[in-house]
Amino acid sequence: MSETTLDQTPQSDAREGVASSDRRKFLRKSVALAATGAATAAAGNAYGDVKLETVTEPLEIGSTRHILGRGVVSVPYGMPSKFEKDVVRRNVSWLTADTVASISFTPWQDLHGIITPNGLHFERHHAGAVDVDPETHQLVIHGMVDKPMVFSMEDLKRMPSHTAIHFLECPANGAMEWRGVQMNSMQFTHGMMSCSEWTGVKLTDLMEYVGVDPKSTWLYAEGTDGSALQRSIPMEGAKDQFGEPLPAESCEMYKDAMIAYAQNGEALRPENGYPIRFLLPGCEANMSIKWLRRIKFVDKPLVTYQETRHYIEPLPDGTIRQFSLVNEANSVINYPCPDYQMKGKGAYEIRGIAWSGRGKVAHVDVSVDGGKNWQEAELVEPVLSKCVTKFKLPFEWTGGEHLIMSRVTDETGYVQPTLMQLREVRGFNSIYHKNSIQAWKIEKTGEVKNVQIENF
Amino acid sequence: MSKLKTSKFGLGLAAGAMALGLSTAGIAAEHASGFNGIGKNITEKAIEPWDISVFYDGTNLPKGSGSVQAGQEPYDAQCAMCHGAFGEGANGYPKMMGDPMPQFIKSLKQGLDGVGNRAVNNAWGHAPTLFDMIKRHMPFYAPGTMGVDESYAVTCYVLNLGMIVDSDFVCSDETLADVDMPARDYYVTDTRPDVNNQRCMSDCYDEAPKVVGAAVTGVSQ
Ligand code: HEC
Repeated sequence: MSETTLDQTPQSDAREGVASSDRRKFLRKSVALAATGAATAAAGNAYGDVKLETVTEPLEIGSTRHILGRGVVSVPYGMPSKFEKDVVRRNVSWLTADTVASISFTPWQDLHGIITPNGLHFERHHAGAVDVDPETHQLVIHGMVDKPMVFSMEDLKRMPSHTAIHFLECPANGAMEWRGVQMNSMQFTHGMMSCSEWTGVKLTDLMEYVGVDPKSTWLYAEGTDGSALQRSIPMEGAKDQFGEPLPAESCEMYKDAMIAYAQNGEALRPENGYPIRFLLPGCEANMSIKWLRRIKFVDKPLVTYQETRHYIEPLPDGTIRQFSLVNEANSVINYPCPDYQMKGKGAYEIRGIAWSGRGKVAHVDVSVDGGKNWQEAELVEPVLSKCVTKFKLPFEWTGGEHLIMSRVTDETGYVQPTLMQLREVRGFNSIYHKNSIQAWKIEKTGEVKNVQIENF
Repeated sequence: MSKLKTSKFGLGLAAGAMALGLSTAGIAAEHASGFNGIGKNITEKAIEPWDISVFYDGTNLPKGSGSVQAGQEPYDAQCAMCHGAFGEGANGYPKMMGDPMPQFIKSLKQGLDGVGNRAVNNAWGHAPTLFDMIKRHMPFYAPGTMGVDESYAVTCYVLNLGMIVDSDFVCSDETLADVDMPARDYYVTDTRPDVNNQRCMSDCYDEAPKVVGAAVTGVSQ
């Protein structure tokens, strides 16, 4: 543990409020702040006082200039540039016994938007990814319905379609950091979350078609992989196995659900449930059952393996929390982050991502002094419900130490908590839903490190 | 070059020809449900082979039974290599037996590590869904291949390892729901939000930040 004296200046004064709602005002102000800084510098210009190198060697002609490149369709399904070979999903080998019941992480440190490219969507399997033939795959809907029905893939594609951009987040995102700092990489602290455009059939449309009994308070979805993963999903009036009602917000989540067959405009990837998956936006991603084969409408929860042993939260008062379904608001700075070093003094743009299972992101505030002072960041359009929102804020690095962090407030007014606040109520053993404010430390050397702040 | 036999010219002709025969009747149908004629009805009987989910209270348990004794042999042959002869875990695979309930709860209260300890004897609230999980998902290398009676027997053996049932117990669709699982009464349903942070903008605290940072693991490849 060390006590740190921090540089408090994001651009000139951290306390200077910035109205992010008015983008033009924001830009004018940023320039003005930069100019103020420059005025005090000896050799300053409008852009600041960092002395630039000058190139005097004549430029070389690049090796691609005098050759012919590849023809069209030489790569029938396009791949990223070979120079991007390190932008891949990764796993943590010691986390699970094998890679079949395991998880991989999205490299958000290398992504620039809100959409996760399909090959980089995080994976979580309980019995491995399977190849399901769309020609023979069927979806059964039954239980408390007027008409038990079965649908082919063709049937589903004929139906009215629904498209929306939503994140999916494993409740274990960040879990390795509960007890203390562990992973010096943004990929591993926040990579169990991905965000895609999904297309499919709305669950509520299908419910109307098969005629769901209004007395049905739960449904469950089941996959056709080796684990035949199944999760109970509450609807209005849902009670747990002891007769206690579930939180009202959890009982509303099914209204946004869909049976998805497309991800970012193309068919789902096998790792993400091809040919169809359940998609329950805003809830822990294991409920979005992959390789979906069956939905049954019932009037009580199953209390499956996932619901009584796995995605549960042992608490310090000696109770075990169940059915903690909603992903609460979370955010993180993905530039700068521990996966990369600072490249010299001067201008940077702090960028990050924020999301909430309860709706839209309302504000993101950024601190560069360990949470003492905050400045509102600009939200980048689109700002959508249960979807990743990008934020940004200009930053001048003068070579000092900084503790940088972001804090999201969602449209319900919920403010992202600190780790200490979470630990106070949930102790050290609750594993899941760790959505606390993430601090990165910028060292004088330019190194960026994952840290926790014990008195914040 | 193209495997498609159509030329631009051919396409144009085809489209023109089709236009002649088109009717606009379907387009503006006023009460279009969007679902007319889609899918098939199916009987619950036809769904039966898929309708395998067992509820916590034993609803939908298949008819059958298996004793603790009958479970030993299949357990040793098909489970022990990953879960250990006594459920203690093997080769990095999950343990099925963790700290007994009183010790588990004590660890939670004292902030000791309980995470890796979650298991049949301290986290599973209901025996019927333990049967469901074993029948559908295990043995891991060949999921869902055990018969009903064998699954009851192995479930029974596991429950006995956890000292949850006696060694002469017989698990069946009639007895499983009444098995007292040690963890059952410790469960409470979600009460979040359980923290209430404020959107403080300046001078949020006084002392210097106490920074802990011992991260060692970087990007792996
Ligand atoms: C090849 C290794 C392997 C074998 C053999 C195996 N399992 Fe498993 N078992 C696993 C894995 C991996 C998991 C975790 C699965 C997941 O992540 O969903 C697991 C989980 C379990 C669990 C949940 C444990 C808990 O944490 O509460 C039970 C119960 C279980 N297995 C029972 C069995 C039984 C009974 C057999 C024999 C019929 C068996 N397993 C054979 C690998 C194995």
